[in-house]
Amino acid sequence: MAYPELRHPFDETPIHAEGQTTVLYQGNTIRLDETGSGDGLLIRPEDLSRVNGFELKPEGACYEAMCIPLNDRFFVERDGRQWFDLIAFADLLEQPYVADEEDRVWSFGEIPAKRESMMVDAMAPDFEVTDRQGNVVRMSDFRGRKALIVTWSSW
Amino acid sequence: MPVWQRILEDISDPNFVIISAAEDTGGEAVAGPIFDAANPTYVQVVDENHIISSAFHFVNVPSAAWVNEEGRIVRIDEGTYAKLHEIGDGDQKFQFGTDAYAPAVKDWAAKGAASEYVQPPDAVTGNIRELSADQKRADAAFVLGNLFRQHGRKEKAERYWNLARSLNPDSINFFRQNLTLSEEGSAGETFLKLRDEYVRQGKDYYRPLDLK
Repeated sequence: MAYPELRHPFDETPIHAEGQTTVLYQGNTIRLDETGSGDGLLIRPEDLSRVNGFELKPEGACYEAMCIPLNDRFFVERDGRQWFDLIAFADLLEQPYVADEEDRVWSFGEIPAKRESMMVDAMAPDFEVTDRQGNVVRMSDFRGRKALIVTWSSW
Repeated sequence: MPVWQRILEDISDPNFVIISAAEDTGGEAVAGPIFDAANPTYVQVVDENHIISSAFHFVNVPSAAWVNEEGRIVRIDEGTYAKLHEIGDGDQKFQFGTDAYAPAVKDWAAKGAASEYVQPPDAVTGNIRELSADQKRADAAFVLGNLFRQHGRKEKAERYWNLARSLNPDSINFFRQNLTLSEEGSAGETFLKLRDEYVRQGKDYYRPLDLK
């Protein structure tokens, strides 16, 4: 199949409002109104759960049953405020990412620890996509039923 | 696509679902009409960012995973055509797919864990592709390219699509996705060369179906 007319059909539009930063993760596009100045990606601690589902708790950064202990290096003082160093956290978790710092967009791949159960005991990875009717579809929605997941393409 | 709908209707079990994902950056414009032609009642996803392929470490389409009631994968990552297909005539005739896959799916739907087609966890994990750090990073690059495309930023879209391809050269998905949005299309000379090279290197263009 050939759809050259669909290669770049979109008009140029801003990726985000001035001053914002965009994070891509698991199919979600998260706009951050504030980030710390300088290199890397310093986010407000309260934005962490929006970005990757981890909650900051006294025992560390926690996602479901997993808690990652954190030390001071993840919390950066800048411009009189405290920020969370998301890149240090990604590096700790060996989470892949690609950044376009010029446009302030950070795209993150999956956190390996979230995929461990697939590689070790064949548990299906959870994913979140939107179906053609606009419903959010997650793998976990189908617990209790047999699910055949089939990928295909027009090409 | 109509074949999957027929399989779903034949099985006719509310505890069996099909989630069909079009790994198409071209989006609804290209995948939508194909879905519609099947009058499907199964779950339909136009997965422009290839999120489902990324989740299951698929590198080609069609691919599938069977997931049981507990959320455990019991088969994964096979060239998943629902029936035998033939294209061309005479010396140019080309066959792909098999009529053996649909009966296997139906057997699993009926018998569950007792189905002879269910694989044990160690066989399943052995069939899940291990990805290198670069290959995992490729998914992030591809999604970044798609974001720039959606905002009309051609140069950066191409840059990150190319990065994705260079980070994961084993991904037929990235390669053909790129071709399908070109004048040459996804099944031209460039594709044939890649497929031949892929096979020459001993890689499975599709992992063989392990059906008795």
